[in-house]
Amino acid sequence: MAEYRTHMKIIGDILATTRDDLQDEDGASVTYLIRKANISHSRISAILKTLVSQGLLEKVDNQGSNKYKISQPGREFLQAYYTFTNFADNFGLSI
Amino acid sequence: MEFLLENILNLVGFLVGLAIGIMSFIGFRNTGSPTLFRLTIAFFSISLGFFVIWSGYMVEDFVTKSGNIERWIQTLGIAIQTVGYFFIAFSHSIKSFFPKSSYFRSVGIFPLFLVSSVQLEHIFRSVSFILLAYGAIETMLSYFENRNKGAISVSVGLALLALGEFLGWYSFVFPESILYPASMIIKIGGLIALFIPVSKVPLTKIKFDEDFGK
Repeated sequence: MAEYRTHMKIIGDILATTRDDLQDEDGASVTYLIRKANISHSRISAILKTLVSQGLLEKVDNQGSNKYKISQPGREFLQAYYTFTNFADNFGLSI
Repeated sequence: MEFLLENILNLVGFLVGLAIGIMSFIGFRNTGSPTLFRLTIAFFSISLGFFVIWSGYMVEDFVTKSGNIERWIQTLGIAIQTVGYFFIAFSHSIKSFFPKSSYFRSVGIFPLFLVSSVQLEHIFRSVSFILLAYGAIETMLSYFENRNKGAISVSVGLALLALGEFLGWYSFVFPESILYPASMIIKIGGLIALFIPVSKVPLTKIKFDEDFGK
């Protein structure tokens, strides 16, 4: 059975991919993120827009295609996300 | 002896609740997670509840010197704590707890009529017991899924608080027995068990982000 992921977990997965699992130095393409984060195109578009507007991801225009890289605030957010995921896990909860 | 235990319990409860509440709040401000928001409300309520009762004892000791805490202060403190326990249980999707069958629902209401003749305090204690027992069971079940050792400690903590509430509620049958002091010692143990895994969360690396979520 597929594991249920909260919105926060999906964001964590996207940020973790852009930090740890990049295709190249320019960043990750939307197609790559869809595959790695296992999420639909319509949903990831909205999430990426939010993450860029919040300054957690940087959008890089690379020869006509958009790629995404994690920003410094994004790294700090991801660190906080891992810390508080662990915190919530202690209570048997998911953030 | 009972007065001393009450003071220790309420101070420990206030401090532990406040510490976990602040930690949850920092988590909520940094991640915007609704789960952490519910935990913030839960632990601030628990902390406030203990503080209200502790204040009642202090007022009794230094001002009124009546020998007994004002009953309504104790009831108010326990009611506020019950709100906190509700939010812990609510975080575990409390809807799944209530039986769908209308027959079982009617039976479930029955105990409320049994305790309606006694003081509100006992009703709150019995509700707290149910919520804490539910939280303890759900947390233990999550341990079997995730194998996070901290969940065992939290589950034991909630279970001890539930047992303490039960003994505290039951002690009104035997008012002069050891039940009430025992309930307080058990609850202190529960609060410490609750705090152990939370104290290991490394908060020093977290930068409090004022702008996130705006």
